[in-house]
Amino acid sequence: MSRRVLTVDDDPDITIFVKTVLEENGYTPLVARNGETGLSMARDESPDLIILDVLMPKQSGIRMYRELKTDESLKNIPVIILSGIAKRTFLRSQEALTEFGDQPIPEPNVYIEKPVEPLELAETVKDLIG
Amino acid sequence: MKDKKLLFVTQFEGLWFDALQSLMDLRKAGFNHTVFLHVIERDKVAMHRGKGYLKDEEVKLREMANVRFIDWAESLFEQGMEVGAYIVVGNPLPKIISTAAEEDVDLIVTGRHKQGKLEELYGGSETLDILERTSIPVLVYKYMLPSGKVNERPFEVPLLTMDWSPASEKAVEYLLSFKDVLKKVIAVHVINEKEFKSTSAMEIQSLRKENKQKLEEVCARFEKEGIEAESHLYVGSTFEQIEKAASEREATMIVAGTTGKNPLKEIFLGSVATKLTKHSVLPSLLVPANVKL
Repeated sequence: MSRRVLTVDDDPDITIFVKTVLEENGYTPLVARNGETGLSMARDESPDLIILDVLMPKQSGIRMYRELKTDESLKNIPVIILSGIAKRTFLRSQEALTEFGDQPIPEPNVYIEKPVEPLELAETVKDLIG
Repeated sequence: MKDKKLLFVTQFEGLWFDALQSLMDLRKAGFNHTVFLHVIERDKVAMHRGKGYLKDEEVKLREMANVRFIDWAESLFEQGMEVGAYIVVGNPLPKIISTAAEEDVDLIVTGRHKQGKLEELYGGSETLDILERTSIPVLVYKYMLPSGKVNERPFEVPLLTMDWSPASEKAVEYLLSFKDVLKKVIAVHVINEKEFKSTSAMEIQSLRKENKQKLEEVCARFEKEGIEAESHLYVGSTFEQIEKAASEREATMIVAGTTGKNPLKEIFLGSVATKLTKHSVLPSLLVPANVKL
């Protein structure tokens, strides 16, 4: 059975692009439009990898990532952050949340600032889940 | 405690990042989640004779908004805030209402948008339309002071207009939920000239005493929460006197309850809420009578 990759992004152009790259490389794509649905799909579907945007309605990728990494059943799923938000901002925001009393969490496996080339995305996915 | 959400509606006309930044004091009142909304008005991209739907124009406008929102979001994320964004095509009013409902926001912040011909003619207001269709308070944010400086802490010294309606009672309760941001509350009631029915000085003084007493009771509720409060009675035309009081008492914002219902009636009667949104130089926080507290 092919490996399943959950893409969480509110931009339909991006989800179509990622879905196409994943299918062409033999993976099964799953799609969620915001962090809230993404988290619920991650719990229901237990994907092999999550590709996560940051700036989204309902729940941002920053909060969703934190929830993933503090959930025993989800914390080992590798995560690629694919976003227009700078990596430095992502890391600083996690530091700020830690300062407010949340627990420290590890950095994402890979951070890619949009836009991404199809080949770069395909190779990154392959490196993480084969 | 659940984060409170603020919906920041911007058409990139009046409200920019400095306006948003000046509202960050609201974090003390639990507003840790900001949702940006930009509506690309349909007529900017809609079908044009010989050109069809202007898809390229839509992409351009969408990306311009996106670049701005990413930059704003980075600043807020780094402060540990939660941020979301919507860039949609359509008519602003229904999009504001549907986004507010989808995100379940606690406060809508909007600027004073350019008015259409009908609105100019009848003095109507998008804000009143929002209040008619939702139970969410609306802050019509004019963040540039007449001096040209940014109103850095609009919630610091609000002027609370009391007309003793159920809506103004709700405004008191809503304002109390901002107790950690308020420095001083100025409670004002305007006695309209029409209320001076009697020529008896005794009766007029009774009217004064009764209203003053009610204002003192409102002040006591704020003082109980450790917030300084003062009461003032003004006489004359309601909107003009509210503006005068706000200027004399150096208020940073005006707060008013509103029924939010029957906007046409409000427009034709020239309600205080309509005048505040259209003419006041200060930000106006309008609290509907059916607000969920």
